[in-house]
Amino acid sequence: MQRRVAPIVAALIGVVAVALMVMLATAKTGNKDSASSPLLGKSAPVVKTTTIDGRPFDLSRRRGSWVALNFFNSTCVPCRQEQPELVKFVDAQKTATNPVEFYTVINDDSDSAVKAFFDANGGDWPKIHDDDGAIAVAFGVAKVPETWIIDPNGFVRLRIIGAVTADFLTQKINDMQRQMDGS
Amino acid sequence: MSRLKSWPVWMLMGLLAVAMLTVGANRASGPHTQSERIDAITQRLACPTCQGESVYVSRAAAAESIRNEVARQVAVGQKSDDQIIAGIAATFQARVLLVPRATGFDSLIWILPIVVLVCAVAGLALAFRKWRRNQGGGATDEDRQLVARLLAEQNDVTDEENI
Repeated sequence: MQRRVAPIVAALIGVVAVALMVMLATAKTGNKDSASSPLLGKSAPVVKTTTIDGRPFDLSRRRGSWVALNFFNSTCVPCRQEQPELVKFVDAQKTATNPVEFYTVINDDSDSAVKAFFDANGGDWPKIHDDDGAIAVAFGVAKVPETWIIDPNGFVRLRIIGAVTADFLTQKINDMQRQMDGS
Repeated sequence: MSRLKSWPVWMLMGLLAVAMLTVGANRASGPHTQSERIDAITQRLACPTCQGESVYVSRAAAAESIRNEVARQVAVGQKSDDQIIAGIAATFQARVLLVPRATGFDSLIWILPIVVLVCAVAGLALAFRKWRRNQGGGATDEDRQLVARLLAEQNDVTDEENI
């Protein structure tokens, strides 16, 4: 009896182990360039807030333009590190044929700290308030920095977790713009 | 006769069980105020930037944001607790669920312990059955023959000694 049961049990354990390995090996790892999000390809969440200068901001009114939202906190080290790259990217966009509108979403930070940081490090684009973290929750942002790209139709096209470079952002946006123009 | 005497006790116990179940099923439970509802929901959500802390406990910025969102949705009053949790879990991709889902890959967390338990019980049952069979049901004919032969040999030895 023991001789008959042992190989069956061993075979079953082997089958389960192989099945688990196959499942893990073939699991979706996502796009390496864009972090996964259920929002990708869908309409961007409603973002109605004010800029640090007190002007109203409504994301739905930005349709027709490519929009980049960069979630930021002045005490976050990667945010501080990516700042020169963002400045470079926004400066380059000023001369682009289809420029991207760039916005900083202030994540759990004071206006004074944000103003002081931008005065010291450059970056003349609008900074928008995220009252009570509503925008961060709507986008599923837990840690900063994160950069999201929204196309002119208001659809979320790209999510980048962590610091970005100007070249990477430019290349990704150029690719998406070409893809959109071709379609 | 004893059956007849004990039936009122059983009936009383049955009625008592039914009454307790009815009271238990119908009594008002869960949160009574908006604040209690927010607490109950946030206790089911994990802080996405912490290790093993609920949104209710954590003071991290992400947890604060989620707590504020829960408060907003509770104030609006259009969604159930499960719908609010599902909405937040959808954007944060299940990282915020303290209790894993029973669908997809996550369902293994619920299924595997049951499979292991069933296998363990089946294994034990097989083992017990085998042990009981090995113990046997008394002496076999071979055993009896062996004993008879040994006794006969012993008797022969004692007879020779007596002579």
